Amino acid sequence: MEPILQVSHLSKTQILQDISLQLASGEMLGIMGPSGSGKSTLLYNIAGLDQPSQGEVWLGDVDVARLSEDQKASLRLHDMGFVFQQMNMMANLNLLDNITAPAKWANSQKSGKRKAELENKAKALMKKLSISGLENRSITEVSGGQLQRACICRSLINDPKILFADEPTGALNQRAAKEVMIELSKLHQEGTSILLVTHDSKVASQCDRILYLLDGQIQGELKLKKMMDPKEREEQVNAWLRSMGW
Amino acid sequence: MAGKLILNDIKHNKLLSAATVFFMTISAALLILTTILGTELVTTIGSLMDQAQIPDLIQMHTGEIDTNQLAAFASSHPEIKNAQTNRFLNLENSQIVLNDHNLVDSTQDNGLVVQSEKFDYLLGMDSSLPQVNPGEVYVPISYREKYTLEIGDPMTIFGQPLIIAGFLRDAQMNSMMASSKRFLVSLADYERFKGLGQEEYLLEYQLNEGEDIHAFQSAYMEANLPANGPVITRPLILMINALSDGMMVFVILLVSIVVLMISMLCIHFILAIQMERDRKEVGLLKALGVNRKKIRRLYFSKYLLFSLAGGLLGLILAALFMQPMVSQLHELYGQADKPIVSILAALVAMVASEGIILFSIWNSLRKIDHLSALDALLSASKKGKSWVQYGLTGAVSAACTFLMLVPVNLSHTLADPSFVTYMGIGSGQIRMDVRLQDDRASTCQRMAKTLDQDDQVEQFTLLQTGSYPAVLADGSQINLTIEAGDHAIFPVRYSSGSAPAQPGEIALSSLNASELNLKVGDTVDLVVNDRLTPYTVFGIYSDITNGGKTAKIAGQLDAPVIWSVVYVSLKPEVDQQAWMARYQNLGVDVVKIADYVQDTYAQTLNQLQLVSDVVMIVGAVVILVVLGLFSRLLVEKDRYTISLQKALGLTNQACERIYFQKGMAAALAGIVLGLLFGLFGGQVLCQVILASFGAEGFRFVIDEVQTFLIIPATVLISSTLASGWGVRGIQTIKAYECCQGRE
Repeated sequence: MEPILQVSHLSKTQILQDISLQLASGEMLGIMGPSGSGKSTLLYNIAGLDQPSQGEVWLGDVDVARLSEDQKASLRLHDMGFVFQQMNMMANLNLLDNITAPAKWANSQKSGKRKAELENKAKALMKKLSISGLENRSITEVSGGQLQRACICRSLINDPKILFADEPTGALNQRAAKEVMIELSKLHQEGTSILLVTHDSKVASQCDRILYLLDGQIQGELKLKKMMDPKEREEQVNAWLRSMGW
Repeated sequence: MAGKLILNDIKHNKLLSAATVFFMTISAALLILTTILGTELVTTIGSLMDQAQIPDLIQMHTGEIDTNQLAAFASSHPEIKNAQTNRFLNLENSQIVLNDHNLVDSTQDNGLVVQSEKFDYLLGMDSSLPQVNPGEVYVPISYREKYTLEIGDPMTIFGQPLIIAGFLRDAQMNSMMASSKRFLVSLADYERFKGLGQEEYLLEYQLNEGEDIHAFQSAYMEANLPANGPVITRPLILMINALSDGMMVFVILLVSIVVLMISMLCIHFILAIQMERDRKEVGLLKALGVNRKKIRRLYFSKYLLFSLAGGLLGLILAALFMQPMVSQLHELYGQADKPIVSILAALVAMVASEGIILFSIWNSLRKIDHLSALDALLSASKKGKSWVQYGLTGAVSAACTFLMLVPVNLSHTLADPSFVTYMGIGSGQIRMDVRLQDDRASTCQRMAKTLDQDDQVEQFTLLQTGSYPAVLADGSQINLTIEAGDHAIFPVRYSSGSAPAQPGEIALSSLNASELNLKVGDTVDLVVNDRLTPYTVFGIYSDITNGGKTAKIAGQLDAPVIWSVVYVSLKPEVDQQAWMARYQNLGVDVVKIADYVQDTYAQTLNQLQLVSDVVMIVGAVVILVVLGLFSRLLVEKDRYTISLQKALGLTNQACERIYFQKGMAAALAGIVLGLLFGLFGGQVLCQVILASFGAEGFRFVIDEVQTFLIIPATVLISSTLASGWGVRGIQTIKAYECCQGRE
């Protein structure tokens, strides 16, 4: 399948060394590794949040690493979606406004029709992620799981080419983490390309492929079979991790 | 969206938002006030001078005049646009009664005039030329409030009654700093009273546009025309008018600049706090792909909204405070021709004050550009250094102390009897003026003899003023008004050199010295008894009386006496009032020098007092708001540390004490700095302003009670209240907060 993302010889001084990887369209790629291995740094460098010291990051036909700050910002706004461990929602806006915010920033048109369309789209996403009815709640009035699902809605509002998820379940309890992963899996099955950083083997077992990072270098790769039972997939991931010295 | 973000942000940060609007309001209000007052001052004085058509040059003269000679001079000088001779009937003050008030205590030369023919008009309150009927009199406007007069009240001159038919604006002599006041009567009444006073002439000239007044003055002198009296020029009239009210504008300008600086400092600080709080949010916006300009615009639009509110509130506040301040201007000078100028100036001031603040905010917001999305999202917030905040606390206390101090000490200095020494007046207790007697010389000698024998008199000096032609280096001639006598007894203030003590020595007023380009050690030739006599400049002194252009020589006067002054100091146990009453009966004007100052500066002092009071209130409010806010923010910033201190067992009171003590130490340091800077820096500032009016080498006469007690106490009490309120925020911090993760 055509790669949507292609990373070649990416380095970041003292953290990442000569990383090359590909993400196929509709693929869900997991990056695992112990703390300090550089997995989040890798994600941020790929997403244009940080500047690599060497290497290329191609998203479609654009080399992200060569763009100016403002061009990167525009790319993130229009073509990328983000799900953070700490959610990072704006305290002064309710859930609906938080979700629609990137779309409003991306489109300067301010017609009432456009606003209604956006709200409908956001509500549809909320319904899809099972958080309907929370539109007017403030971010302190919902649970962690609900908030993270709202973050996923926000990341999808501009129909991104790729979704970046940095430890999306890291700040959630087990139940909420499970709910969030179900939603990410659904998105993946619908064809969304996802690059996900995690240290949780249960989360990683949902991916098509996992890369193991250690001391800023890719040490190994695991391809998971599609039809495998979730339990079996998790065991396979754990076994592989043990073999990598986890 | 942006609107929602801003509104919610304001809702969640009420304190910071209110403080920001407060600073924007107060800066705008003060700058608008300064601009309106400055514009009103210039435009109203300008309007009055235009309407009254003031002369470019007035030669005052006591004695005979030859009208043919004057007419010949006028016709042979094409630079003259208009010329006229006005008469001024100088009356004995003790013979003038306004309503029930005898003017015996007045330090002004009061006299009668009839309306001018061609220019130098005395205007009614509606700016028209009053038609005075026999039996009526128009009184200078500055006397209306001073003696609480109304139309219809009586005025008597030597017991002969007149009815006050109205009040007049005199573009030349409106200000109490001008030493004469003109009462307008009908020609019939003027002729009726003529024998009761001393008639003086005002030889007045209007020049064509662009003509040099100084050159014309020299030409007048060379023509040997009547010149027995001081010369007044148009710039001088403008200066005297502007001085009395300009002082207030200067103080308000000073206050508005300092407050603008404080506001910018505080808003910058508030912005830093806000940015620190919103760090994560800015990082998120960046991470989600909103570009830097958009983020900056989002934040800026909030401050734009604040500034709009602040500007409008400032305009309202300025309008409220403006009324009492401009009312005196309007009373004295009337309304300006074009009130739109003031309105436009106010709007420009509002835009300027908000513009300066918004520009500094826009610059501060550039930090957003340098903030990395990752740093903002992932790293702990960067804590500003606490000492910066305490430094700001000290700086604000210092600035407010300075602000309160300058107007208080300026008005105290102007009100102090010793200030007369800047005015070219000896520092005696009592001043006696001998102007009206025909036989001035013998009256003076008689008086000197009487005083010499009076054992209640500690010391006295007789100074006689006359006019001497002086020849300048370029050969041109001018008339110098020279006071002769013993200048060592009650010396005026010399900015360089000292009093002339020997024949051949002369002291010049600073305005004269600078105009004639002479300094101590230089020589000037005077025509004494038709002989050119060289005089060495021995001293230069401050003088803002008689147009600020005077000179002093030692010994006897060798020219006709224009007027004589006797300065007296009495022995400590003597009853001054009783002594003065005794001499008033001898037919001379006797006034206490303290009253003289009070009279001359009454307008300025009243305004300065008003400004001092307003500044005290503004200063105290600024301290309350700024220090209260600073300490509250400091507590907020140190939330984690305070929580940890509480978790480790410190009580609320103990934590509060720590922060309170630090805040108060900073405020105290600020007060000391403010006192030092106010006393030295403020003095230098006032020196610069007063020097331009001829008062050189100005030194504050310090109001010790205000300076060392009331002002520090006001600042201290405000600081204590503010800090006390600020640190109470500690009570809302829970001990467990620190356990929930490091900041």
